[in-house]
Amino acid sequence: MNTARMPVYLDHAATTPVEPLVAARMAEVLSSETEFGNPASSSHGYGDVAAALVESARAQVAAAVGAAAPEIVWTSGATEANNLAIFGVAQYYRERGRHIVTSRTEHKAVLDPCRELERRGWEITYLVPDREGLLDPAQVAAALRPDTVLVSLMHVNNEIGVVQNIAAVGAICARHGGAWLHVDAAQSVGKCPLHFASLGADLMSLSSHKVYGPKGVGALVISRGADLGGRGRVQLSALQFGGGQERALRAGTLPTHQVVGMGLAFELAAKISSVETARVARLRERLWRGLASLGGVVRNGSATRSVPHLLNVSFEGVEGESLLAAIRPDLAVSTGSACTSALAEPSYVLRALGRSERLSESSLRFGLGRTTTEADVDIAIACLTQALSRLRKVAGTLVAGSMPVA
Amino acid sequence: MNYNDLTRNYFESAANAGELEGPGVFRGAAGNRDQGTWVQFDLRIHDGAVSEASFLAFACPHTIAVAAWLAEQAVGGRLQPMLPESVQALRDRFAVPVEKMGRLLVIEDAWLAAVLPAIDYREGTHIVK
Repeated sequence: MNTARMPVYLDHAATTPVEPLVAARMAEVLSSETEFGNPASSSHGYGDVAAALVESARAQVAAAVGAAAPEIVWTSGATEANNLAIFGVAQYYRERGRHIVTSRTEHKAVLDPCRELERRGWEITYLVPDREGLLDPAQVAAALRPDTVLVSLMHVNNEIGVVQNIAAVGAICARHGGAWLHVDAAQSVGKCPLHFASLGADLMSLSSHKVYGPKGVGALVISRGADLGGRGRVQLSALQFGGGQERALRAGTLPTHQVVGMGLAFELAAKISSVETARVARLRERLWRGLASLGGVVRNGSATRSVPHLLNVSFEGVEGESLLAAIRPDLAVSTGSACTSALAEPSYVLRALGRSERLSESSLRFGLGRTTTEADVDIAIACLTQALSRLRKVAGTLVAGSMPVA
Repeated sequence: MNYNDLTRNYFESAANAGELEGPGVFRGAAGNRDQGTWVQFDLRIHDGAVSEASFLAFACPHTIAVAAWLAEQAVGGRLQPMLPESVQALRDRFAVPVEKMGRLLVIEDAWLAAVLPAIDYREGTHIVK
């Protein structure tokens, strides 16, 4: 692809550019004559140096999310962390129960493992959020059964940005006594307060590349904290075997440069989070005001209980694929449909919120981030203004309140 | 989704988008916006030929491009009870994925819904509008 004129990047919820400081540190590790060792090689100094880097990064990640360093288990990303949490608990506690509670608006990295477990005989309860995308913790309480072994819910929804009340769910799970709580927090770090020890969760998935770190590395936080409800601490069955790394929960040689990058990325995110969040919140408000003025624009997800980095809107009177094609040269955003073939599938998250198929397909997710400027937002508004005006004219669907077509 | 140059050009220009008013206009539509594809053609007929044509389409870029191209190509042509070009030829010309063949049939239905009453009217067998 010709990169001479790339579109404005507003897809930070999909991934973020690597922070230059992080990239530089990773390059140092990769090119160092002393830091290339295998962190598991305890028989010589090269291994010791690499192991020290890994442990330092572990401490950085733990500090950024309110966890203890020994609670961090490195993975290849949040998807692997989710798989390890879900299959690991299901396998370990299979004699105690085979019921799991999750929600319809989880990421595929949670829903697909749950569906696989269903195929293997587990029962899954899929909670339905309200029209704003929020779950009532009472729904979790009502869904728990004596044989429930796991509740898996995301902290921040990746499509609509709503923040679930995980602490309340944690308290419910602790009272239940047998249901462990797994939280997918891939979208949370640097975007909203996240303190593992305060959530009441037993397991938490993290991603590096959503936080201006490298792709290919993440972590599963496994609680070793207070024994809530006298049920002991969560145990997992390993999913891969080999060298016994990561307390034998995740075998495989650790990529030192990757974990070093994630550690630094998380440390930086924690340092600049509040300032950055306030800046991005102002940009999102500017974007929303600009889009709302176009008429026929529906905001998806709670406006008050959401991270400021994400805005999801549906546009009435335009067909989804045409909308994307019209803005694609100028804007890099995600759509409310999954293009698995020539025919797009409407977003299951938006459908779960009660949006129609058409409105789900004509939705866009704007992911704002550190690189986003006021000028970017204004370009987005101008681009959408033009695209909507043209497509609504072509469709004969000018909506009330929309701008007149020349 | 990738589009060939022709599709992109006609999708972006959509030069004949709109509706025609006045005498001699025959309108046909097919599809359903709620189903994701809806197309309408307006043809102004004069002396058995199309003197003006326009379209509306709530649809994907391929569908919009084909409808726009048909509206352009129709002007000056004689009325015929068929598309100016077959569905298969249109599919090839615009590189329409096979999954979208149904949308070309919606276009054909809309076209015929405009053309057939015009032919009937001309032949005096049917009165429209």
